[in-house]
Amino acid sequence: MNNDNKPSQTTTSYSVAITGSGGSGAVTAGRIVLEAAAHCGFQGLMTRSAGPQIRGGESAAMVRFSADPVVCMGDYYDLLVALDWLNIERFADEIPLSDKSLIICDPAAGEVPAQLRSNRAEIREVPFKVFASGLPGGRINMVALGAMAMVCGLPLEALEASVKGVLRSKGEEVVESALRALSLGYNHDRRPVSPPLQAVEKRKVWSITGNQACGVGALRGGVRFVAAYPITPASEMLEWLAPRLEKLGGSLLQAEDELASINMIIGASFGGVPSLTATSGPGLSLMVEGLGLALVSETPVTVVNVMRGGPSTGIPTKSEQADLDIALYGLHGDAPHLVFAPLSIHDCVFTTQWAVQLAEHLQTVSLVLSDQSLGQSQAIIEAPAEMNMPWRRVVEEVPDADYRRYQITADSISPVTLPGTSNGMYTADGLEHNELGTPSSMAADHREQLNKRLHKLEAFDYGDDWAQIDGQGVECIVTWGSCAGVVREAADKLWQQGREIRMVAIRLLAPLQREKFSQAIAGADRVLVVEQNHGGQLFHYLHAQGVLPEQAESLAQPGPLPLRSGRIIRALTA
Amino acid sequence: MSDNPEVVIETVAEFLVHALELEEASSDHYDELADSMEIHNNLKVAELFRKLGDYSRQHAKEVHARTEGIELPQLTPWDFKWKCPSSPESFCMEEASYMMTVTQAMEIALFNEIRGRDFYQQVADNTPNDKVRKIALEMVEEEGWHVEMLREWQTSLQEEPPLDDLDPPNMPE
Amino acid sequence: MPVPALKAKDYKSGIKPVWCPGCGHFAVLAALTKAMAHLELSKESVAVVSGIGCSSRLPAYIDSYGFHGIHGRALAAASGLKAARPDLTVVVAGGDGDGFSIGGNHFLHACRRNMDMTYIVMDNEVYGMTKGQASPTTRPTWTKSKMTPHGTGIPRFNPAAIALAAGAGFIARGYSGEPTEMTRLLVEAIEYPGFAFVQVLSGCVTYRPDQKGWKEVVHPFINDVPTDDRIKAAQIIQADEGKATGIIYASSFPVWQPENQQATELSLLEEEFCI
Repeated sequence: MNNDNKPSQTTTSYSVAITGSGGSGAVTAGRIVLEAAAHCGFQGLMTRSAGPQIRGGESAAMVRFSADPVVCMGDYYDLLVALDWLNIERFADEIPLSDKSLIICDPAAGEVPAQLRSNRAEIREVPFKVFASGLPGGRINMVALGAMAMVCGLPLEALEASVKGVLRSKGEEVVESALRALSLGYNHDRRPVSPPLQAVEKRKVWSITGNQACGVGALRGGVRFVAAYPITPASEMLEWLAPRLEKLGGSLLQAEDELASINMIIGASFGGVPSLTATSGPGLSLMVEGLGLALVSETPVTVVNVMRGGPSTGIPTKSEQADLDIALYGLHGDAPHLVFAPLSIHDCVFTTQWAVQLAEHLQTVSLVLSDQSLGQSQAIIEAPAEMNMPWRRVVEEVPDADYRRYQITADSISPVTLPGTSNGMYTADGLEHNELGTPSSMAADHREQLNKRLHKLEAFDYGDDWAQIDGQGVECIVTWGSCAGVVREAADKLWQQGREIRMVAIRLLAPLQREKFSQAIAGADRVLVVEQNHGGQLFHYLHAQGVLPEQAESLAQPGPLPLRSGRIIRALTA
Repeated sequence: MSDNPEVVIETVAEFLVHALELEEASSDHYDELADSMEIHNNLKVAELFRKLGDYSRQHAKEVHARTEGIELPQLTPWDFKWKCPSSPESFCMEEASYMMTVTQAMEIALFNEIRGRDFYQQVADNTPNDKVRKIALEMVEEEGWHVEMLREWQTSLQEEPPLDDLDPPNMPE
Repeated sequence: MPVPALKAKDYKSGIKPVWCPGCGHFAVLAALTKAMAHLELSKESVAVVSGIGCSSRLPAYIDSYGFHGIHGRALAAASGLKAARPDLTVVVAGGDGDGFSIGGNHFLHACRRNMDMTYIVMDNEVYGMTKGQASPTTRPTWTKSKMTPHGTGIPRFNPAAIALAAGAGFIARGYSGEPTEMTRLLVEAIEYPGFAFVQVLSGCVTYRPDQKGWKEVVHPFINDVPTDDRIKAAQIIQADEGKATGIIYASSFPVWQPENQQATELSLLEEEFCI
């Protein structure tokens, strides 16, 4: 936790967008740039965007790299590489350019569209097609990649190493041809435009998506059973997990629907195996009844909800933080449970592991609110340190004759027997029950069990990990989940301007750490709550919990466009 | 089972296994009826079934005493030579109702006891084994006495009006 | 000293059922405990999973591990449990509404997934716990429910036919009025390696007193059953009016069960991310 006075300083980063018609290799080029940057010791982030077509259409890869962790995209792109101009207007909003930007394009692809020219970006023409057609198997994306590397100051060797890695599976000929195309593009115009980024020492880094990072966290937390139904943008987590669970002695079951997947993991967890499912908004809506069952029967489960634009089918391929309300309030009855949100791709590992282990220890439901911007982005991050968390399910292995499954204990956690244990038989029930598990509609039993299920969550000491707090300024930005990245960027810029900024990024949303939150914002004379949804869900939640000052402000911007730091700075400058 | 034309039991051990199963199943069955009548607030009928359960338990004890020193064969549930789909004194479950009167309950009991007696009678009629016949006839006598007792009990009962259900049924879930 | 064998009664939990006196479900409880005793199952190795409804109260009445979940999802919970704990004997119990209406999709997929478990549906052609509404197996002309005063007007769900079409390898029908035969069916079902579906005609004395008449019409299958021929099984099921009992179909299909064998360490898997 970084609670010191002096916030980290921003160093320069470099942002590049590569666009082209689907299949032109824009995304592969993006991956190669990202990995090349990693070979130079940089960290980075790549997001992608595409039309609704399964194949074809148009696609874009956006890459940003820096010597520091990259937790969001920048406000403007330094470089746009246009392989062609197909439907470029679709991406105009997503790829903001300025008069400091550069556009690399092929004169053979036609005129630079007026919309882009209006940014007064510099234009550099490279004959991608001519170079590519001069080579056997030559590809324009590789020529473009070479030209791009020269402009952004990445050494050719790093690109070559990355090409060899990424294209290895395509065979030697393809790699050979790619390397030649790369060299042609690189040497065509040797005027570097941007000052090269400060070289950094190569560190141990990972190249990983947020969906994979949640998968790693799940496995580190002990998850060995997953049941799930495919859904955008969560499916990659499941695809990553399936073969790896098998290697670890677990399994993934593709369910017939989300009603099945939530109940399947409840069944598996009842059997003693830590279990998880991943889904997105529509799937979470279907699972909600099951969450109540897990909670009342005190069967631990974790659900990773990779949020997308909602409600209903909404905007499946774009990010939004609009499921906080359903995560907090979606269950019927008094149903306290845990809600987490990872603050970055790197943090997906920690937060998911934490969520799984606390669900196990507290015998409850953990909801992890990741989102499309984390889940489907590829990042170069410092390898996440292994976390040794002590929390496990409290299992009664030798129950005595007086064993009571839902026994009231000091910490309200009742040791559980697992099927197969003699003399520990009980029936887990979604009906309200007494300490023995026998269904009961008695007021006293209901109250006792309600208290127990609340108390075990309220009494637990969550330590300092409930939020990331930076700075001690009088202007406080409060945020949650993936928006922590862009809030950090805004804060960095404001710090550089000498503003006294403080940021509080909430990782544990429920139970809300009210006292700690109040301490964290104490002394601030301005509080701005930043989130990516339309209704200001966190803002209203914090108000409902009575922890926000009356004059607190809300900056709530729905998807699908990512929130940019400039928007936050404007809000604080107004 | 019903496709066996006659019940032929050849050894004392086999007979005692049948008698034991009959009486134990009967007492379990009456207990279950008594429990569910209690749960459904039909206490008079519950009391009757409780008593009948006790009689059968007493019977089972007596049969058990006869098994001393005899090695009993292990029979699977469907190897028993009943002439009906369940053991003779455990039939007519679906005739029970939470609104039944003691008179109606008595009819179920009588039906069961008569079937129990008939079973022992058939064994006695068909067995080639004299020892089996001797015990079977003793049981017939005992069951016959039961039947008589129930009949006397029945005639002493006043005909009751059928119970009324003034409230609608519950919807527990 | 050898541990004395458990009797059927020993498998009862001692909790008194909420079922109406005369309810067919008592016979299912008795038959299941007899089957458990016959198979000499240890109590702790059995898990009985159910959804919601009168019949779904069953797990609490059996002295084994039990899971009383939510309406329609028993098969899903049981599938997860069996995937994670192949060592357990998994028995799923529920009613016609739970299994064929709200849980219909899981029924189809449990049949085709063919995990090793036994699914007992106590079919009384009515929703008992919510006061007697029509269920998927109610005949279209039954007008006793206020919710469907003209009858449902739609054809009945044919559980055995649908189980067969969905790929179940073991299909049987029992009757609460024939507990001994039911015990035999349940023993065979539990021993069957794969998904065994047992539909039990289990009358509702309260909302369907007409079902007392079942004992006049229930009869064993007259065809040669069981068959392992799907076409024959389909003919038998379609030719019968739904009141014949016995094992209809018993065939052999691959059982779906993850192996759960650990082959490597997580730290080795994580190396794939290193650059």
